[in-house]
Amino acid sequence: MSFKSIITQKEDQNIFLNRILFSSLLILLLASIIFIRLVFLQIYDSDQYKLRSLNNTIRTQSIPPSRGLIFDRNNNVLAENRPVFQLEMIPEQVQHIEKTLDQLAELQLININKVDALNEKIEKIDNSYQFKAITLNTKLSEKQIAIFANHRNIFKGIDIKTRLTRYYPKGEVFSHALGYVGSISSNDYLRFDSAIYTGKEQIGKTSIERNYETSLHGYPGKEKLLVNVRGRVMDRLNTQPFEPGNNLILTLDTRLQEVAYDAMQGKKGAVVGIDPSNGEILIFISTPSYDPNKISQGMSNSEYAAFLNNKNKPLFNRAIAGQYPPGSTIKPMLALGGLDMGYINPDNFIPCEGHYFLPNYSRPFNDWTTHGSVNTKRAIQASCDVYFYQLAVEMGIENMSAFLSNFNLGKKTLIDIGSEKKGIIPNRAWKKNNFKSKQNQSWFKGETVIAGIGQGYMLATPLQLAMATAMIANRGSAFQPHLVRAIENIKTGELQYTPTEEINNLEHIKEEHWDIIHQGMIAVVNERRGTAYGIFQPNVPIAGKTGSSQVFSIDKSSNKEVPEELRDHGLFIGFAPLDTPKIALTVIIENGGGGRLAAAPVAEKIMRAILDSEKKNAL
Amino acid sequence: MLFKKQYDSLSSEDLFRKFHIDLPLLIAFLILFSISLIAIYSASNSDINAVIDQSIRIGVSLAAMILIAQMSPLDYERIAPWLYSLCFILLGLVLILGETRNGATRWLNIGISFQPSELMKIGMPLMVARYIARESLPPSKTSIALAVMIVILPTYLIYLEPDLGTSVLVAFSGLIVIFLSGIKKRYLAIAFSLFITSLPLIWPMINEFQRKRVLTFLNPEKDPLGAGYHIIQSKIAIGSGGLFGKGWLNGSQGQLDFLPERTTDFIFSILAEEFGLVGVVIIICIYLFIVGRGILIAINSQDLFSRLIAASISLTFFIYVFVNISMTIGLLPVVGVPLPLISRGGTSMVTLMILLGMLMSVGTHKRLVTK
Repeated sequence: MSFKSIITQKEDQNIFLNRILFSSLLILLLASIIFIRLVFLQIYDSDQYKLRSLNNTIRTQSIPPSRGLIFDRNNNVLAENRPVFQLEMIPEQVQHIEKTLDQLAELQLININKVDALNEKIEKIDNSYQFKAITLNTKLSEKQIAIFANHRNIFKGIDIKTRLTRYYPKGEVFSHALGYVGSISSNDYLRFDSAIYTGKEQIGKTSIERNYETSLHGYPGKEKLLVNVRGRVMDRLNTQPFEPGNNLILTLDTRLQEVAYDAMQGKKGAVVGIDPSNGEILIFISTPSYDPNKISQGMSNSEYAAFLNNKNKPLFNRAIAGQYPPGSTIKPMLALGGLDMGYINPDNFIPCEGHYFLPNYSRPFNDWTTHGSVNTKRAIQASCDVYFYQLAVEMGIENMSAFLSNFNLGKKTLIDIGSEKKGIIPNRAWKKNNFKSKQNQSWFKGETVIAGIGQGYMLATPLQLAMATAMIANRGSAFQPHLVRAIENIKTGELQYTPTEEINNLEHIKEEHWDIIHQGMIAVVNERRGTAYGIFQPNVPIAGKTGSSQVFSIDKSSNKEVPEELRDHGLFIGFAPLDTPKIALTVIIENGGGGRLAAAPVAEKIMRAILDSEKKNAL
Repeated sequence: MLFKKQYDSLSSEDLFRKFHIDLPLLIAFLILFSISLIAIYSASNSDINAVIDQSIRIGVSLAAMILIAQMSPLDYERIAPWLYSLCFILLGLVLILGETRNGATRWLNIGISFQPSELMKIGMPLMVARYIARESLPPSKTSIALAVMIVILPTYLIYLEPDLGTSVLVAFSGLIVIFLSGIKKRYLAIAFSLFITSLPLIWPMINEFQRKRVLTFLNPEKDPLGAGYHIIQSKIAIGSGGLFGKGWLNGSQGQLDFLPERTTDFIFSILAEEFGLVGVVIIICIYLFIVGRGILIAINSQDLFSRLIAASISLTFFIYVFVNISMTIGLLPVVGVPLPLISRGGTSMVTLMILLGMLMSVGTHKRLVTK
């Protein structure tokens, strides 16, 4: 190291001091930049960053509400919510996912065919969602729960969780009235306000569950969660509980419904029973039925496909969507029209020789038997076709259709569940609108003749016939049929009853004309030669009418066995008791043969149950 | 009596002077160390082991500082060429024999694993200062050229590892000496314009990983979950801290793991979130105090070498602080520079405390070097 003079040392120091001064100013400048930047971040933009910090860590999670319960008119539970057990996995807690899934499959806790799909699903999960549970099996049996409990120690990160699902204690008996629920599909979001759905709850798919969805659903709760960067919940900040859905009280009577379902076992068809005094539906059955629990708890695709492909169509709601030719059940209504319009004199007897000829027609219209001499009452009692062929020709199709419309036939009853069909009451205008070729659009006289016995184009649903029967029972008036009696507000406990409005299109009918119709219908059940005579106990206060509607024109003279699906539909309409009718009933048995042999016995069982309880009440 | 008299005459200031400790600096360091422990406890989600580890590192670093402070600046001047040469050879060896972690070859394993580039942070300023101080100021053109070579060669080796952050900081600690030596403003202007014009040429040579860092720095919101995540989360932590902070252990960004690297590179963000603007301004003031005290030591020292290393150490220290804070508030790209004396980490703290020990040595040995 060379020695430096004092002077050079001084010079060195000056230069150095110069530079140090410059550096110090630079330091202050840089420190100021940092300070200003910090002021901007922590004061000027602080609110924005506070918000972003909250957004990082606060997750709002909605809690699905519990669905409203459904009761029958006597407070028996028809639909409730029950916990089901499902197997869940939290991927981040499981070390060897593939191995674990294989072990679970070996113990038959998960479906072996689903292992690959589950593996794939878990692999795809984003890293920041590894804490979220994956459902491995949506429904564990009690045996499976026990097996899992025995092996719990080897399955870390796997657990049994419960969730609520819809349960229908009466199973198949109420399925067509109640409908069923299922997971929400994209179509469902179009029907309802998606804002009040969490996506986790079940939604009504058919019938009451669907139509009263807004009442049953309730409002979801919310909980604020503090989550870390991986989304794991660290804390629950606050919870706003859900509002449960409102309960429904139905008009249905479980006892009658069960009697009717029992009577319908093994048969295809429908039973609808209405209280004529208020339109409340007491019985609502369509068979074959299905187990709504299976559908609501989720069934496999193959099970569901089997359902859809079943030729007996168990999912088809015959009570409101099945359209049948009313057959002879139309006769009391037509007779009333004939009396009212003066086409028939109730005391006039006309001869029935078993067939009817239209002028200039060579082909006869056959009666099912030869009745001899019949008046109005006897024509109803013994279901004489010739009498009504003649009446139809005299009235003409326009008068017939106009009068039958008064019984709400040919239009929807507006019952409080969907997918209702409106049936057909044909006339010239209807035919013109519904046929394509000019040739088919014109009305033929022969079509008027068979309309007289409820055949041809004429169609009605079981519900429509039950409502028409209620009008006969009430001598003209009726109420809109409905299944929900009241909605119970879950918060206030208040019952909001379904309003019932009386409608009466038949006020002008004379009492004596009603009497004749009623006498005819009572005779059907209680008098010799009545078509349902002998089916019921003697002297029951029941009025009825059988009907058989042709599916196919069959030569009756041949004794060959007729294939089942070509056999006639059997129908029965009736009401009881006579003085203050409690029920207007329709029974339809598809391909069951005639009304007397197929439908009347079913009606008898139901009527007996009703009259028995009436008797008990009277005591 | 004798003992008592000795005791009386030995004031506490004299005691520290005797052991070559600068008391104001020591107090500042101890405050920062305390802040370090508080911040690490919070940033490690209340892991007391992390605090114990850091305490041990602090103890070792303090010991190293005191040890180094006992040597005189003359000793540093003497060993400078040897230390520099040793570092240079080790840097060469790293490229041949070094351990590769996360795609960077920075470590050399000789029983223990260490980074020679850390050692160069000490070797560099000593070597340049010794070279410049051998003649009077301002240095000649050839001296400057040679000094620049002394800086560039090891810088390039560190850059090759690759370790852009350390290479820039090492280069800075050497260049600052050349700057302080009174290099003409003309040369500075030329160097600066050369640097600017060569940027487009350098850009394609920088590897993709580092280019991405710079691009991310320019627009972090472009890839908020990927490359921009660190910067965005850091800014959210700092900004949401506001004026007074969310309180110790209450910063959601840190406590809920949103902020990455929060015991090391981003510990400033934790402090800003939990103690607010007030807290971090106090910390910055402590740093400025240390830098100011260092500059004062440099000014007051009597020989050129001491002056140059004291000033270089002080300014480099400030640059560490500046780069780290700037990176957390989005003023500079993320280059992996810890916050001096606060971030968790052993090697960098020991290196830094050795440099600060030298600063103390310069401050307390000055009377001995005056002729």
